[in-house]
Amino acid sequence: MLEPILGSTNSERVLIFLTAREEGYAREIARFFETGLAPIQQQLEKLEFGGVLVSRAAGRTRLYSLNPRYPFLDELKAILNKALTFYPEDLREDLTMNRRRPRRAEKPL
Amino acid sequence: MKSIAEMTQVELAAFVQSHLQEKGVSVILSGGASVAFYSDNQYVSADLDLICTLFTKQRVIEEVMQRLGFSQKGRYFTHPDTTFFVEFPPGPLSVGKEPVQKIEEYELETGILKIISPTDCVKDRLLGYFYWGDRQSLQQAILVAHMNPIDLAEIERWATEEGKLSDFGKIREQLIRP
Repeated sequence: MLEPILGSTNSERVLIFLTAREEGYAREIARFFETGLAPIQQQLEKLEFGGVLVSRAAGRTRLYSLNPRYPFLDELKAILNKALTFYPEDLREDLTMNRRRPRRAEKPL
Repeated sequence: MKSIAEMTQVELAAFVQSHLQEKGVSVILSGGASVAFYSDNQYVSADLDLICTLFTKQRVIEEVMQRLGFSQKGRYFTHPDTTFFVEFPPGPLSVGKEPVQKIEEYELETGILKIISPTDCVKDRLLGYFYWGDRQSLQQAILVAHMNPIDLAEIERWATEEGKLSDFGKIREQLIRP
């Protein structure tokens, strides 16, 4: 949807995912969109280098989020949030309705 | 002229900037290295963030850096004679949501240093504190504020625009030179 202005589908996937969930890691994003890991990692690194994203280590995982210092953050989020409203409802719900509260280790579902 | 091995962080920045400028590439020193300059090297970081201004050709940067003896490792350029490494973030040159308006220039032995102002340097460090609660960033902001003339009213205006006036209010007094 935003590929013409973002230059790549995977760039859109990464940005949409992080807009909806605020934080994510490469494998999680790739799995969600059922796509290859390498191109997602490539986009994450590219967007981080460009100052759009920031990352932090959490154990052996690198967690990415939108950079609050990015000068066009508000404008970018406005576009991404609008784009989200054009996504199919089931995909939009999957993106936004994920569990965020803590779950005790080994707790049965 | 000093050799690269003898250069301080900011002297190396001026050296690289001047060679790039000869090829029409303008890059501005920001980040931790600007704290080093404005704190008389009381704080030193290993990296040099030279922010690219509009439509900088990466190929030209690579050619110049290679000619100066640097080799590229991912996004960084390293040199066998110095522990400092150089990065060229694509910009824009900004402090939070706003573009940097004023660039300071200083003539050093190794070239012309182009750097953000002390006021913008303080803003830049405060961002790390405001968004990530990073105390080191706050200490660096205080260090620069105490050692240089800064425009506190301008920083307050900017903090308001960033939506961080309340956070700024809590540390405002610490920025005033004792």
